[in-house]
Amino acid sequence: MVFNSLQFVWFFVAVYALYRAFPVAFGASTAHRAQNWLLLVASYYFYAAWDYRFLALLAASTLVDYTCGRLLGRMVDGRRRRQIMWLSIGFNLAMLGFFKYFNFFADNLQALFTAIGWHLDYVTVRVLLPIGISFYTFVTMSYVIDVYRREIPPTRNLVDFAVFVAYFPHLVAGPILRATALLPQVARPRTITPAQMRDGAWLIAWGFFQKIFVADNLAPLASRIFAPDAHPAGVNVLLGTYAFAFQIYGDFAGYSNIARGTSKLMGIELIENFRFPYLVLTPQAFWRHWHISLSTWLRDYLYIPLGGSRGSAWRTRRNLMITMLLGGLWHGAAWTFVLWGFYQGALLMLYRPVEAAFAGVSSRAARFAAWALMFHLTCYGWLIFRASSFSSLRDLTRSLVTRFSPGAIDGGGLALPLLLYTTPLLIVHLYEAWTDDVLAVPKLRPALRYTVYVATLYLILLFGNFGGSDFIYFQF
Amino acid sequence: MRVRRGLLLVAIAGAQFALFETALRTWGHSEAAPAFQELFIPDPVIGYRLRPDARVRFATAEFDTAIAVNAQGVREDTPIGPKPPNERRIVVLGDSLVMSVQVDARQTFCKLLEDRLNRTAGPIHYRVINAGVQGYGPVEELLFFREIAHAFEPDLVIETVFVGNDAEEAFGSSPRLRARPLADSVSESLVARLRRVVRRSMVLQVIRLRVVSVTGRLSNWISPPEAPLQSYAEQPAARIDQGVRVTRDCVQAIADEAKAAGARTMVMLMPARFQVDDADFGRLKQAVEAAGGKLVRDAATERFDRALADVAVPRFDALPPLRAALPGPPVFFEQTVHLTPRGHEVVAAALEAFLRRQGI
Repeated sequence: MVFNSLQFVWFFVAVYALYRAFPVAFGASTAHRAQNWLLLVASYYFYAAWDYRFLALLAASTLVDYTCGRLLGRMVDGRRRRQIMWLSIGFNLAMLGFFKYFNFFADNLQALFTAIGWHLDYVTVRVLLPIGISFYTFVTMSYVIDVYRREIPPTRNLVDFAVFVAYFPHLVAGPILRATALLPQVARPRTITPAQMRDGAWLIAWGFFQKIFVADNLAPLASRIFAPDAHPAGVNVLLGTYAFAFQIYGDFAGYSNIARGTSKLMGIELIENFRFPYLVLTPQAFWRHWHISLSTWLRDYLYIPLGGSRGSAWRTRRNLMITMLLGGLWHGAAWTFVLWGFYQGALLMLYRPVEAAFAGVSSRAARFAAWALMFHLTCYGWLIFRASSFSSLRDLTRSLVTRFSPGAIDGGGLALPLLLYTTPLLIVHLYEAWTDDVLAVPKLRPALRYTVYVATLYLILLFGNFGGSDFIYFQF
Repeated sequence: MRVRRGLLLVAIAGAQFALFETALRTWGHSEAAPAFQELFIPDPVIGYRLRPDARVRFATAEFDTAIAVNAQGVREDTPIGPKPPNERRIVVLGDSLVMSVQVDARQTFCKLLEDRLNRTAGPIHYRVINAGVQGYGPVEELLFFREIAHAFEPDLVIETVFVGNDAEEAFGSSPRLRARPLADSVSESLVARLRRVVRRSMVLQVIRLRVVSVTGRLSNWISPPEAPLQSYAEQPAARIDQGVRVTRDCVQAIADEAKAAGARTMVMLMPARFQVDDADFGRLKQAVEAAGGKLVRDAATERFDRALADVAVPRFDALPPLRAALPGPPVFFEQTVHLTPRGHEVVAAALEAFLRRQGI
């Protein structure tokens, strides 16, 4: 069940009607208990709509980490506590490793043996990837680690914990929530303010705009350039890469906004996952603004435990590289994702000595040059990310470098649609960045606000691609 | 305060409506454009048909085509006069996949087939007439043959069945076979007037198409997949079987009437894009399964093939050659899911080979 489907609309309308009716039926102070049950049942139904067989995994992950959390809360012995934490991490990583990476490792192992002349004729098991597994295993792992570090007390209420893990707005594609942010909200009665309703409705509308108008309309443009048998001129590779940059942003930021918006309507705040990532000047800033919930997760549970920037410059670089390589692999079981992680790690390492200088740039021209450089480095990262194979990546890069041919620009088929589908997004985006507020639009004066609301609606209705596909991040 | 804000909202919505309407009329060129809609005129028997001598430009992100309709109302540059003694005529009936507004007339499989046949024809000249009309189903194609294409004196009639939606179309249009022509005096109902208003506005046309798409999905909520895919369901709704039967009866009627006029008939089965494109099929299959249905990739082709076996005419299935053309440049457009110029070439080549094999 995707957010941009009629099925989800009906599902949400039914769930929301009950959700709002419960305070009337049960009283405002205790309704949240019934609401949590409702959210739990709804979330499991939402997940089962993809594939009910994987509900067992979700339930197992919930039970194991709930139990580990309870045990950690009771224990004082450091060694035993560490064992429990590693048990939980081991369980989650084993689950993630098996379902997400088994095929990848099996295929590579087979290729390796074939390369050295050993032909292994074994029956290859194809393992299906349970949707959202990368997200909810990270959610439950962070909970257990936080309890181990005594940053939060373990929850005693299994229903609250199960809702925290399976809460449908974030279940299949994030944001990757922290227990510190969500569990307290789940445990207390909800108050839904008019501002939350207004902001929630806007986030949903804007999320649909980003998905249906921006991402799904740019997808065919990018697909044409990245098709295995396409041999585009460099200038069109550049435009196709821009198209993919905005496609993936519209797709994922759109999903996050719909998730935040639906959650806001239910009185539960989710963290901001994107904050103008294409307007930054350095890779460090990019990762503070792109998929914020993943990058902070990697920082807090991988980079810092590895030593962060506390040791020598070499150790810091090593830690950055390990974190980004694993971050790349998190996105998918393919070598192009590993290479993308390596590329991001290399950018972070290269920029590290000069980051302060970039951040301190004051002249407009220098800031523009720094932005343009960073934006194109980011785009090249997306080219690695989107390329179907290393040979395709090599061909596209060669095209960019040796066959740029500005005269071969596909104006009508590529440049103009790219401009049309990104301009409205950029206008709102630049205004939000200028006010440093991702919810700046609902705070505009009525005439301007209504102008943006109505234009958003018209653009979705008139030019939205309603035959669009799933959200890209579902596959992670 | 609320009233003032409400009025402000209405005023802004109205102003933007005017703005989008102007922009779409100026640069839109979509199927909803009044200019494109003017390509069609009402017809008391068929429902609608192409406006004789119409000239329209149809442009989207994927193509930009000039469409010319001749005096008889088919996509031809010149009128079709009496048949010269050395001419052999092939009339291709069908829907948008035959009419092919996405490509220039010379790039359609009809004209490519004509070129191919004429290369080795000697003193005989072949003329392949594109008699496809956007939105037609088997019922309209039969009526169009009776009313218009019959007069082209064909030697061969090719009835193109789009397996993706022709069962639905035939089921929906079957009452037209029994209906009497509408009298001119029938007063225009309010709905008809509203429809006319909507047709005159490009913004309203697009919104109407969105609403139709949503309501179509709602009506099929209980038995997924939705209408365009119902023909591929493992256990389709009863209307699909009825639609296939109506199609068979229409083809039989065309064959009988063509035979009476000395012409032969054959059927061409045209597949939907996802039957050819693996990635497209994977995505749709997943979506249908998520909705609780089951998509069988070639079910519609097989259903029509079985049903049309009762009609004693040769059948050509365009699916195998189109499938064999991949991997390679696309044979269907990404957004409009109609044949690309390469798709037309593939169909023309395979069709020519079929005609020669069959000795038609």
